[in-house]
Amino acid sequence: MNFFYLAGQYFVFLRRVFAKPEKQKLYLRNILTELWNLGVGSLGIVVIISAFIGAVITLQTAYNVTSPLFPLFLIGLGTRDSMILEFSSTIVSLILAGKVGSSIAGEIGTMRVTEQIDALEIMGVNSASFLIMPKIVAMVLIAPVLNILSVFIGIFGGFLTIEATAVIPTEDFLYGLTVEFIPFYVTYSLIKSVVFSFIITSVSSFQGYYVKGGSLEVGRAGTRAVVYSSILILIFNLILTQLLLA
Amino acid sequence: MIEVRNINKSFNNVPALKDISCVFHPGEVNLVIGRSGSGKTVLLKTIVGLHHPDSGDILFNGRNFVTMTNYERQHIRREIGMLFQGGALFDWATVEENVRFPLDFFTNWTKLEKNQRVEFCLERVNLSHAAKLKPSEISGGMQKRVAIARAIALNPKYLFCDEPNSGLDPQTATVIDDLILEITKEYNITTVVNTHDLNSVLAVGERIVFIYQGEKWWEGNRESILQAHNAELREYLYASEVLKKSGLLK
Repeated sequence: MNFFYLAGQYFVFLRRVFAKPEKQKLYLRNILTELWNLGVGSLGIVVIISAFIGAVITLQTAYNVTSPLFPLFLIGLGTRDSMILEFSSTIVSLILAGKVGSSIAGEIGTMRVTEQIDALEIMGVNSASFLIMPKIVAMVLIAPVLNILSVFIGIFGGFLTIEATAVIPTEDFLYGLTVEFIPFYVTYSLIKSVVFSFIITSVSSFQGYYVKGGSLEVGRAGTRAVVYSSILILIFNLILTQLLLA
Repeated sequence: MIEVRNINKSFNNVPALKDISCVFHPGEVNLVIGRSGSGKTVLLKTIVGLHHPDSGDILFNGRNFVTMTNYERQHIRREIGMLFQGGALFDWATVEENVRFPLDFFTNWTKLEKNQRVEFCLERVNLSHAAKLKPSEISGGMQKRVAIARAIALNPKYLFCDEPNSGLDPQTATVIDDLILEITKEYNITTVVNTHDLNSVLAVGERIVFIYQGEKWWEGNRESILQAHNAELREYLYASEVLKKSGLLK
């Protein structure tokens, strides 16, 4: 019963979030601010994690290939496809659920308990739309960019590892990056990152928006935002994979 | 004028307001007093529409706020200024951006006109020097004054103040009280103030409603409150050592 109540409340909330903006200029300004805060603010963690994971995927694949019948270029291919298919969309989204999700829930939740949201409502401003829609739009716009960046950084991390360790010839790795490339994998990855970024921002905002109580509840909302976003990302990863790759 | 008629409100079947009726007049500071948990804030939030009453009517100059559509309600809300207990300033914005916010949202004024209005409002609360500061960089009393400046930016017809003196020293509290009184007279605003500060009661309470356990127990003004015979009200007033020792209570 509680699940259905929450789900209903979530969709009513989304309806308010996507109501027609009252003052489009202010919304546009907020979208640009959020692009900077959420997008550029996440750049560092995406770059660092992608580079190291790309390097580790390359090394693990290389060290586990013991059969001389296994073509070495498959290590490059494996790194590329792992990054495109799963890491840069799903794993990066899970990491962003932790970083961005808790930050959004904390920010909106604090605004709720300090009555800033009430102040907006009394002025006649649709607070859900004004505060949350720019975050969702900004994240949905920036997520594909972060995704593509993550793929390139991951592959570059793998390339540097190959250069540094000489575990396989660089030519084999580079050849592997270009062989058997399926462009639809990129589309699949981008679709996933858009859906996941929508889940992260909307679920986290929802958790923050309906906080009742004080700072303790704001903290709990942050935790719930990360947990629920992560679970939904994993469920939708399964659904989208079955729908798009079957 | 605001007319509250037979308002009832409960939370999880626990009544918070029981059949409250009162009238708040323009150009007067109307006080709602009572102990903590008596229902003052619930009444204020119900009047401004943050809580929906279980029954009863709230009339803003004859327009029933309870039965009107959301669209009509939005229009009334633009005539309302509210000062929250904690100030509720937007922490992402500077002091002047806080005051400018309603102007950006609800007017089509030029930048110059908005700047002039912001300057005027900040001057009115003696905070021109703090325009570029963030709310976290100013004191609690200054935050309340910024909140007043923001509340009057759009020339409201109704001003609601929830515990404007809470957390302030007596001198700063007097400054806030005086400011609320001046603004009320200057713009002929219908002002409703929630308070349990007895200094405010005696200083600005032109019309006073005493609420006890969600019910209206007494109504009068600052002159009659000291002679009131209502037992709960007298118990409330006698909690103040200052009032007791001053000999004002009859």
